[in-house]
Amino acid sequence: MKKLDLQKLKSTDWKKLAKDFWYGKPHGEQRLGDLYQSKTGLYKHREWRGVKDTFYYFHNIWLYNYAHMVMDIMRFGGPVTFARGLWRYRWMGQTYLPVLHWFDRGLEGMRGEALRASAWHYRAMVNVSINQFMDMFKADGNLRGGEHNDAWYHAIAHKETVWGGVFYPWADRFKHIPMEMIPYFVTCHVNNHTVLNYIDAVQSIGLPGDPCPMCQAEAGLFVLDDMPDYAPFMVTTNEACDGSVASTAVQDWFMDVPLFAMPQPMQFDDPLVQEHCANEIRELWKFVEEQTGVAPNLKLLREKLESQNKLQRFEWEKWDVDANTPYYPINGVAQALYRIYQTQYGDHPIWHDTDKKVRRIMEKCVAEKIETFPKTRHRVIAWSCAPLYYSHWCTWAYNCWGLNCVINMDSLMFDMTIRTDDLDDTLLDMARYHEWAPMRRMAVGGMHHIFELWENMERFHCDMVMMYDQLQCKGMQGVVGLFEDEFRARNIHAIWMPHALPDKRTVSRAEIRRIINDYMTTVMQEEPLDPSLLDFDDSESW
Amino acid sequence: MRKVCKFLFKLLLICGGIYAALFAVFFFDLDGKALFYGVEPFLVKHYDKMPRRDPLSKAYDVGGEKEE
Repeated sequence: MKKLDLQKLKSTDWKKLAKDFWYGKPHGEQRLGDLYQSKTGLYKHREWRGVKDTFYYFHNIWLYNYAHMVMDIMRFGGPVTFARGLWRYRWMGQTYLPVLHWFDRGLEGMRGEALRASAWHYRAMVNVSINQFMDMFKADGNLRGGEHNDAWYHAIAHKETVWGGVFYPWADRFKHIPMEMIPYFVTCHVNNHTVLNYIDAVQSIGLPGDPCPMCQAEAGLFVLDDMPDYAPFMVTTNEACDGSVASTAVQDWFMDVPLFAMPQPMQFDDPLVQEHCANEIRELWKFVEEQTGVAPNLKLLREKLESQNKLQRFEWEKWDVDANTPYYPINGVAQALYRIYQTQYGDHPIWHDTDKKVRRIMEKCVAEKIETFPKTRHRVIAWSCAPLYYSHWCTWAYNCWGLNCVINMDSLMFDMTIRTDDLDDTLLDMARYHEWAPMRRMAVGGMHHIFELWENMERFHCDMVMMYDQLQCKGMQGVVGLFEDEFRARNIHAIWMPHALPDKRTVSRAEIRRIINDYMTTVMQEEPLDPSLLDFDDSESW
Repeated sequence: MRKVCKFLFKLLLICGGIYAALFAVFFFDLDGKALFYGVEPFLVKHYDKMPRRDPLSKAYDVGGEKEE
């Protein structure tokens, strides 16, 4: 038996121990890296955040979300449909069961209002994800021996890069379900193991390894026969770039249903293209009407657009607080994922519920002047497209170095409301909105758009740039040198973060951390806030 | 009355036990460990050996004409 170390007992600061128990250890003393099991990223034990925040996490995040996931499944189709989908599709079973670990990774080290507001964003994304995959399973012919039911006839399949808002005129009778948002996009954030199967599958039929891995993975879903057969027709687009056109060819081949392609111009500033784009939407509506036998409901379109405009107006309020005060309660990863999900998918009741809750929290922070990220050393703007397998890098960077990622490029994309007073104006705005999609507006929309970075740095009072470098994006590779020249000329601290979007094998999370660590120690000559986070092995983690 | 009190006490004990067990699962990340070491490998094995259609065997139908 271990002998009682009286000396140690005597030197223990009981007052400090009690304070740490009650309030949680202060930032810097937490040693969050010591909580991980090596390689797996599982926790030896979850973080003790003080009594109030630990029990908030236990009740209002962990228990609440497990319970609401079950309730969502019951509400959107029932446990049998869920179980059949889980048994049939790898992306479902392998990815979505460990969803609470996705929360853990994004919310590490968070306290108080920042913990609460960020967690509500995660909850909204879980709700919409469950809604989508349950809608897929309810309509899925694969789960019914090839038989097509009523739900199949009332579903619209589209590429995830087609904005869901173009289907608002049928929102009361038909479900629009993006093909890849749940089987591909969200999986990379929750469990980055799953997507590797799809990338390897498409390469196994002869595709070289260097095209955009997003398009590879999207096509791989079909090669592996892992896509539900849930709708009688599909709508595609060349968003975000022409890589999508290539994956559409594979989808057209394997889905083998009537297809409408809705191309968007790369150089969208040309005023002549606006009318053309608006006409593309009119043509799409004709196609949907032909396929469904139901005319577009323009009153419903107006209602849904006005509802969406409300979301945008609140986003502007959030950005105002974010840009001009230290009281913004949403962390970098929650801001980025919620915003891109909400704007790309389109209007949904959960976004409004969430915004109400977040508004209350944000207003409290402003009224009571609560500094939500008190250890901020640098305000960071993240530019270009993020590594999907490490979208929570900003949580790590704040905890380790005090790098507070206050805004990112994807959040700033669909930065507009849509006019609803006149159909022609509505269509022109809808065209514009679609052109301002992720990886389109800034990344391939022309040189001055990608250089909007400088004005956004000023607007959000940032002193540092996290410059994503998607190694397989040919469009962004073309401007690396120009950015380097500009960073030098403007004397801006910028860290290049190489990655391969969903594929963690090209640049690992550990390598990304090493690059940031090197910059912070050698160029910035700073000491880490939490040295236990400098180097750890999470190579097998979700 | 005594019976009711006894019942309530038992209920309280059971609820307290469940609550403590759930907190232990939460705090020691037992849900994560079960999913990582148990559920995920089991499901991956299942998906790996699942018979799948070969979509490549299907001809690509362009504009209504079958390419063989």
